[in-house]
Amino acid sequence: MSDANSTPSSLVQSHDEVLVFPKGGNPSLTSNKWQVWNGSQDEGGLPALDLVSHGVLVPLVWWIEHHHEMDVIAKAKNGQIGVWFAADDDILKHAELIEAGKQYWPLVAAYFPLFRDGRSFSTAALLRERLGWTKEIRMIGDVLIDQLLQGARVGFDSFALRNDQDLGVALKQFDLYSVTTQNSWRDKRTLLDQTQ
Amino acid sequence: MYKYDNIDKTLVDQRVAQFRDQVTRRLNGTLTEEAFRPLRLQNGLYHQRHAYMLRVAIPYGLFNSKQLRTLANISEKYDRGYGHFTTRQNIQYNWVTLEDTPDILADLAKVEMHAIQTSGNCIRNITSDAFAGVAADEYVDTRPICELLRQWSTLHPEFAHLPRKFKFAVNGAKEDRTVMLCHDVGIELKKNVVGELTANIYAGGGMGRTPILGSLIKTELPWQLLPSYLTALLRVYNRFGRRDNLYKARIKILVKALGPEEFSRQVEGEWLHLQNSDDNFTQVEWDRVAKHFTKPPYKTLPMLTTEHILENVSEAEATAFTRWLERNVKPHQVPGYASVILSLKPHGTVAPGDATTAQMNAIADLADKFSFGELRSTHEQNLVLADVEQAELYELWQQAKKQNVALPNVGLLTDIIACPGGDFCSLANAKSLPIAKAIQERFDDLDYLFDLGDISLNISGCINSCGHHHVGNIGVLGVDKDGEEWYQITLGGEQGNDTSIGKVIGPSFYADEIPDVITNVINTYVNHRSEDESFIQAYRRLGVAPFKEAAYQNAKKKEKADAKSAGESV
Repeated sequence: MSDANSTPSSLVQSHDEVLVFPKGGNPSLTSNKWQVWNGSQDEGGLPALDLVSHGVLVPLVWWIEHHHEMDVIAKAKNGQIGVWFAADDDILKHAELIEAGKQYWPLVAAYFPLFRDGRSFSTAALLRERLGWTKEIRMIGDVLIDQLLQGARVGFDSFALRNDQDLGVALKQFDLYSVTTQNSWRDKRTLLDQTQ
Repeated sequence: MYKYDNIDKTLVDQRVAQFRDQVTRRLNGTLTEEAFRPLRLQNGLYHQRHAYMLRVAIPYGLFNSKQLRTLANISEKYDRGYGHFTTRQNIQYNWVTLEDTPDILADLAKVEMHAIQTSGNCIRNITSDAFAGVAADEYVDTRPICELLRQWSTLHPEFAHLPRKFKFAVNGAKEDRTVMLCHDVGIELKKNVVGELTANIYAGGGMGRTPILGSLIKTELPWQLLPSYLTALLRVYNRFGRRDNLYKARIKILVKALGPEEFSRQVEGEWLHLQNSDDNFTQVEWDRVAKHFTKPPYKTLPMLTTEHILENVSEAEATAFTRWLERNVKPHQVPGYASVILSLKPHGTVAPGDATTAQMNAIADLADKFSFGELRSTHEQNLVLADVEQAELYELWQQAKKQNVALPNVGLLTDIIACPGGDFCSLANAKSLPIAKAIQERFDDLDYLFDLGDISLNISGCINSCGHHHVGNIGVLGVDKDGEEWYQITLGGEQGNDTSIGKVIGPSFYADEIPDVITNVINTYVNHRSEDESFIQAYRRLGVAPFKEAAYQNAKKKEKADAKSAGESV
């Protein structure tokens, strides 16, 4: 079911820095090397990657349409293209494409059109559990401090927070809990940890 | 009852610390109200018409006297001397401050309580039969499964921002006392032919603007597989539930749009990939939890007949006490014991379900003295002492009377379920509480109420239907017309095994007409009933027509009078 919020014409602006929290590692800040592109704001097609030092995250719908084009393949092979999923993208319908993308994309991202729209939590969970995506998954869009913990547990390991968020406070979100009562990508529930 | 282990204790303490930090950030302005709103709601904190309201979880309605004393202390220390028991077996306070909330949560944590997920678009407090573990008609004690599900759903990361709120009810008795079919998911626990505990799953029920009864989508699911199956179900809802329209975002709309078969097929498709995962419950977890739900140290007692129970009761008190035995005392699994409902609906009450600080403390004492220190809260907004010796019923009744919680109106017309309505709730279109009070005042004659027998009357102040008017035999719904409060009547709703959604009988009424309308409807029943026929049975036999005609008999006169005074032709 589609709604206007899922494929935004203008994207939520993120911080210059991105928070990374690898599984089994510690959260830290790093400079953001990926530009999120909505697939249409530059009429000439992909942003000019030669002019910038970062790669570009393209919308899944754009990738579906353009992934056979020579220059797109070239850039993808060069590790300069990743894909982001809109909240209403049914990624299971594109499992084969995502499987093929594993050889190109250094990371994928899932978009939160609004911080309280939890669809992309399920997207991340499916990417990890079902589609076997092992590389980075980035939380992008309306990403606020208080959604990070849930994101980290369902499968996200990098976080492009909305640009008004305090990164210092954000960094402290991941050690709020020392126990959990259900399994997640990051942890088994505490009881299973103890008994196995 | 369940006792927290270190995992629960740690989690609840850490939750208090997390919320304290969120409140601090809100108060210093670094967290906007928009961003804070879902966070506070997931901790049961609403902003109501006049103040903050805090809803505290009573998982599956089970709590103890120590916890009730803490609830009483909170009502005195942080609120205005009362608490309000809700249809979802929770308790809420209407006058707390944002600043005090972290301290209230810390007080609650000390007695193994919290406010986690009592609101917000997440899995809400799981409700069950208030008589679980003691009901004479029970085939499965639902409490261990409820507790396992409480833990599984607590701070579940994937389902923290669902399209809308999500409510579970778990039933394990012959008579459904949970309104299971009016929940997003109803879990019916049974033993299969070889004695294994399994669940039937009903999905897509709910009240509100579009009342729909849940559909059976899965049968005989082994209890261990509940987490993987429910994950699959919630994942389908999270991904495909509507988010473009608040009023169409509940799972009932998705199930209706897809059809129960297609919804079930999609859940099965998802579940295929999850059913063998270690998300599922283990026997170790069952054993850890179930040991807390063993039977209390019951004495070996003879089963008493009513004559025995009445033996030492004075003649002057016999009638009143017998009434209470009939209405407020329920059969028990163990000989010599009974379960007692303390009515929080004394006539002329301020609000159905309210208990004052003094009442809460006194009821905690009654629980200690008569019922192993345990209590239950009910869907109907009353309290239950589940394990009372029959021989002590008379003494309990005398003491309960002193607290004004012994009115024998359980299941009768004045045992009204009502939401807080426009007096408190910012969503409400109309007041509920004065309507409830006016009806109780009109029907204050216990002899008459007894003669009428089982009738449920539920009142909601708005279409969100927190007062569950859809499933009342008589439902009253507050509606707004051009800034005025009006009341719409539904008839024919029922909870229980024949759960039904009531039908609107016609145009709405003024508040001051409602007692007359109810009287006319009741008179119709009295005039037409066959012997031993309950209100709902009579309604089903007779149809809406005679009730409708009676309900509008005065309204028509009024319309004519109005028309005449306005000089119009009739």
